[in-house]
Amino acid sequence: MPVDTKRIRGPELSQSPLLFVSPVSEVSSSSSSSRQGVRGNGDVRPVFARCGLVSQAKGSAYLEAGNTKIICSVYGPRETERKDETDMKSGRLVCDFRLAPFSCPKRGAWIQGAEERDLSAALAESLQPGACLHRYPRAQVDVNVVVLENDGSVLAHAVTCASMALADAGIEMYDMVLGCALRQDGERCLVDPDLAEEQSGAGENQGRVAVALLPNLNQISGLQADGEMREDTLTAAVRTCVEGCHKLYPVVQQAILRAVKKKAPPPPEK
Amino acid sequence: MATIQVSEAEKVYIMHGVRDDSRVDGRGCEDYRHMEIETDVVSNTDGSAKVSLGQTDILVGIKAEIGRPRPMVPDEGYLEFFVDCSANATPEFEGRGGEELGVELSNNLYKVFNNRHSLDLRSLCIRPGENCWVLYVDVLLLQCDGNLFDAMSIAIKAALFNTRIPNVHISEDEEGGKEIELSDDPYDCMRLNVENVPCIVTLCKIGHRHVVDATLQEKSCSVASLLISVTHKGTVTCVRKLGGGSLDPDSIFEMTETGKRVGKMLHVPLMELLQKEENLGRERTKVGFLA
Repeated sequence: MPVDTKRIRGPELSQSPLLFVSPVSEVSSSSSSSRQGVRGNGDVRPVFARCGLVSQAKGSAYLEAGNTKIICSVYGPRETERKDETDMKSGRLVCDFRLAPFSCPKRGAWIQGAEERDLSAALAESLQPGACLHRYPRAQVDVNVVVLENDGSVLAHAVTCASMALADAGIEMYDMVLGCALRQDGERCLVDPDLAEEQSGAGENQGRVAVALLPNLNQISGLQADGEMREDTLTAAVRTCVEGCHKLYPVVQQAILRAVKKKAPPPPEK
Repeated sequence: MATIQVSEAEKVYIMHGVRDDSRVDGRGCEDYRHMEIETDVVSNTDGSAKVSLGQTDILVGIKAEIGRPRPMVPDEGYLEFFVDCSANATPEFEGRGGEELGVELSNNLYKVFNNRHSLDLRSLCIRPGENCWVLYVDVLLLQCDGNLFDAMSIAIKAALFNTRIPNVHISEDEEGGKEIELSDDPYDCMRLNVENVPCIVTLCKIGHRHVVDATLQEKSCSVASLLISVTHKGTVTCVRKLGGGSLDPDSIFEMTETGKRVGKMLHVPLMELLQKEENLGRERTKVGFLA
């Protein structure tokens, strides 16, 4: 039987059913004082990090924090595409941040959206102070980040992952760049939030903070915060994030050391 | 961003000046340039404002349209920001040249307004889940001379203050069909409460100090700046580091403190000024674009 498609009385726009699910898990996580698992408010999720998994790339890294999974590959330095750039004395760092369409609860588009472009810019700004770009005149270094699974604190972990990939690619750097995110929920301050924690909460003093830190130079190379916070809360949040970054440092160091040993094995002892 | 060429000697001059709390145009480190605000400059909009801050010129037009509320928040209206960097400002913006900057600016505006108290979005709701007001905030850069963010946020606040949304009446016929009727009376309108709309303060780190409202020349001397949006109560709604450099944690704390102080001080005269302009009513002489 021919069906008259115009008579089907459905909404013109389709929405993901997940949007209408009552947020049960969010309520339970915000009402109870402890977080899921055995994690305290100030604890970061256990991080798994490895370098050099993409063989085609000059350098690459994979990072897993809880369910957040990020892969990053670095290509270059190679000749820059944009010839019109006036500042040719130093290299360019081209960052491309993408959330895989299946990475979030709601399916995303393959085309880079405004949010991803914003995250790309934030990533580039955070990484730039760490890399010795003046060593690569007239060249560009491509950093591609793909988020395979988004379970919160994506930008912060992407920064860490990208700086590991840069180090693995042998790009000269002043320091590593480490990222840490935080969710301020009233007086409670949750370090390295997962997706549910990132979105839950209502009331006063709500905010999200992400910090990128150069640990040895003690410089903050990236800072992003939104929501509503008092100034003193914000200051405290930034301090907590800096501490969180330091907690990550040994893991990152170990992963890079491991990659270097693999690439250039130490001479056998006599 | 529009760029200018500044020689090394000029940079040293500017940096030494900032160190001694005296800037090229004679301002102190926490002073804004001369600012001019005029609201209701474009008659086809529901609210508009033009702000000139030194040589930076910004025009904001707000149009209200009826749309569908977002499924996540059925009882709220929403704002859409669009920043257009016209080639009038600098030839670099020609074609797609200004797109990158425009996206960056509008993304930051979304962040600044991404909280419950900046603007009462519930007041924009007409029928929950069915209709709401969507405010299209279009920002046009007419001239760029540094500090776009601050000028932009002030212009938006002024334009929101000026916005008049017509009141609507929902009528129901016998068959249960609902109809929205717009009021014919131009004075029968709804105003927005802009008290909590934040203002952005951009602080540029120059040498060991930071300056408010940097000109393009000053901006070329700094590697990193910090954007802070502050409400009249001193609540911080957005912070972002801009530029390719890094900052010491201590200087970030100093800068947020300055930002909060300067931002709080900005709101009081701004609201007074807007109120004063409003009270002039029909007697107000329109200045327009050739001031």
